[in-house]
Amino acid sequence: MSHFYESMLINTTDGIQCKTYANIHPDNYVIVKPKYIPTDLMDSSRLKHRFLFSKCMLRFNLFTESKVVNEVMQNFRKSLPDYVLEDKNHNNWFFVVPKSKIKDVPDARSGLRELMKVPYDDLDSYLKSTVDLVNILIEAGTPSEDIGIMHSTLLGNYTVGKSDIDLVVFGKKNGWKVMDFLNTVKHPKLRWKTEKDWLKYYTDRVVSKFYTPAEYVLSMVRKKDDGFIDNNVFSIFVVEKPDECWYSWQDLHEPIGVVKITANVSDDYNSIVRPGFYEIENSKIVKILSQKTKSGIDKAIIVKRLVTWSRPFVLQAKKGESIMAVGLLERVTTKKEIYYQLVIGYFDSFITGRAALEFMKVPVR
Amino acid sequence: MVHFYESSIITTTDGLHCQVYSNEHPEGGLIVKPKYIPMDKISSDALQCRYLSGKRMNRLNMWIEQEKLIEYIEKFKKTYPQYFWVSNLHQNLFFIVPLNKIEKIYDPRKGLSELMQIPEKFLDIHLRKVYDFVKLVEKSGLAINDLGVTYSTLVGHYFSEHSDINLVVYGKDNCMKLLQFLGNVKDPRLRWKTDEEWLHFRNLRERSSTFTKKEFLFQMTRKKTEGFFDETLFLILGVEEPNETWFKWGGEKYIPKGFAKVRAVVTNNFDSTVRPGCFEVKNSHIKGMKHLNLTKIVFYSRDYVLQAMPNEKIEASGLLEKVLPINGMPYYRLVIGYLDSYLSGRRGKEYIKVIRK
Repeated sequence: MSHFYESMLINTTDGIQCKTYANIHPDNYVIVKPKYIPTDLMDSSRLKHRFLFSKCMLRFNLFTESKVVNEVMQNFRKSLPDYVLEDKNHNNWFFVVPKSKIKDVPDARSGLRELMKVPYDDLDSYLKSTVDLVNILIEAGTPSEDIGIMHSTLLGNYTVGKSDIDLVVFGKKNGWKVMDFLNTVKHPKLRWKTEKDWLKYYTDRVVSKFYTPAEYVLSMVRKKDDGFIDNNVFSIFVVEKPDECWYSWQDLHEPIGVVKITANVSDDYNSIVRPGFYEIENSKIVKILSQKTKSGIDKAIIVKRLVTWSRPFVLQAKKGESIMAVGLLERVTTKKEIYYQLVIGYFDSFITGRAALEFMKVPVR
Repeated sequence: MVHFYESSIITTTDGLHCQVYSNEHPEGGLIVKPKYIPMDKISSDALQCRYLSGKRMNRLNMWIEQEKLIEYIEKFKKTYPQYFWVSNLHQNLFFIVPLNKIEKIYDPRKGLSELMQIPEKFLDIHLRKVYDFVKLVEKSGLAINDLGVTYSTLVGHYFSEHSDINLVVYGKDNCMKLLQFLGNVKDPRLRWKTDEEWLHFRNLRERSSTFTKKEFLFQMTRKKTEGFFDETLFLILGVEEPNETWFKWGGEKYIPKGFAKVRAVVTNNFDSTVRPGCFEVKNSHIKGMKHLNLTKIVFYSRDYVLQAMPNEKIEASGLLEKVLPINGMPYYRLVIGYLDSYLSGRRGKEYIKVIRK
């Protein structure tokens, strides 16, 4: 196992741009999600194309109808087999970059250091907003060396007025400090979607069968990792430092089935990262949607953790809150213990259609 | 000698972004002009600062105050000695990228071909304009393979609202054909620079001491190498195919003879669509000198592309060189826009212009 910061960009020797998707990785690989793939390696008329760095690139995206996802994945596995790892310990597969295929990793930290040295007046409005946001995070008490910039902000291919500003905060302690600060700070350039905005967003864009409007609004309005700075959308990604990672690639994961649970959150400290988890208690399996074992699923199983690989479920619930969730039930065998956990957002969920069933929420009566 | 297309972009292992500045190159390196230089080792407050590829970069502008330019180039020479080259053939300076310093080559032809494969609905405002402009250009009879796109569009750090379209045309015949087409075509999205816009450009390039307003407008308004497409500035950049370069690196030696002013008659301007470009001339006359066999006026600045037509009488001022071909008789030429002209103070005195009665 090795540490490699989540949310970083990796350019591969094949010209693929990937985003890292975990902080701890299996030996010789980095867990990623492919972001842009040169169309000469793989193409699909079903996905968006972009002209990036003088190449026609496919915007790889699994958030689309399952028929398209299946077609795209078949094509991916055939064209780029080195980028899929079948992990025996998980009984599952992951997108990866073999370490031997890493060409370069744009450095989020040094990128920001350089940006902060540019005279403010020489910056365009987008970069000015980026610097403003960084200064707010510094005001929150985050050491400047623990902040980085990512994606198009770092690579320079952003579009003023359109591109999001993506910042990374190194360290969960820093991350929580930032979230607490943003929760209370008043800044003329900082803006959040109001309950009314979220309700409209729900009505126009979401309309979920899992969330009532009130539940959706509650879950979104209190998150401070996405907002607006001077009308530019920003996102803050918190990543784990090497000494604070919780995930182990040595544990054995046995998928048991898809279930709905209710539980209480006993600890949310690790819910700020990807993959993240909520420590839960008083869990109850309230529904079995499907099962993988012939022996069936014992409803008395105690689920200890709710793990999310999906960013929308980061910071979804707070300590002490009751939650309801649907995901993949796994039996986890570590060197010390055996326990059960519910997982949301594994890559395979997009292919199997499970992603359409998965959710996590704080029920609102 | 090596052929490598002018107007291609090269990033180097030291993080420099360079623009290829010739179609012919010496063995072991490519003649370039550094366009963006990282500020971590050297910097100048006289140069624009841009944040590119995660680095602070100075945009090299050879038209800043001369003292500051000299100071910066001196620092550049000390920090990046491998990129600064004195050619024994020319007894003069060039920026060069040694082949072992090339990190990535951005190929305008491949870049455009990739761009044109993208479904229109996925293009942003800038790329859509490039796409539409290329579609207009195709009506001239040129094929996509005859064209390329360069600079910020190619590298990807363009500003959607205000970056230029820099279109590369491969082959001098193709370039002439396109310019003729653009001069005649009627398209509501196409327009040429106004007098006011050209005069603004004249001020930026310090041309007021060498061209009267009237002279400048005459020279520039008849060119069709730059204009606006849908209010975005476009530039047509002709480059030479390997079999049509007008000189071969190493085929001649050049002995600088000092600053001179020449009058002559243009016999051929076919090689003046490219950089470096050349006007073939006859009946040359240099004030205060006996008759010299001066047959070429050469420029390294794109501002002089198609500056004169055959049979026009021109006046030019620049560095006089005696040329010693490996095969053939010695002759003289005048060169405008060598790197040293920006450092020696010659830059404000060099020009090529048509003498009108």
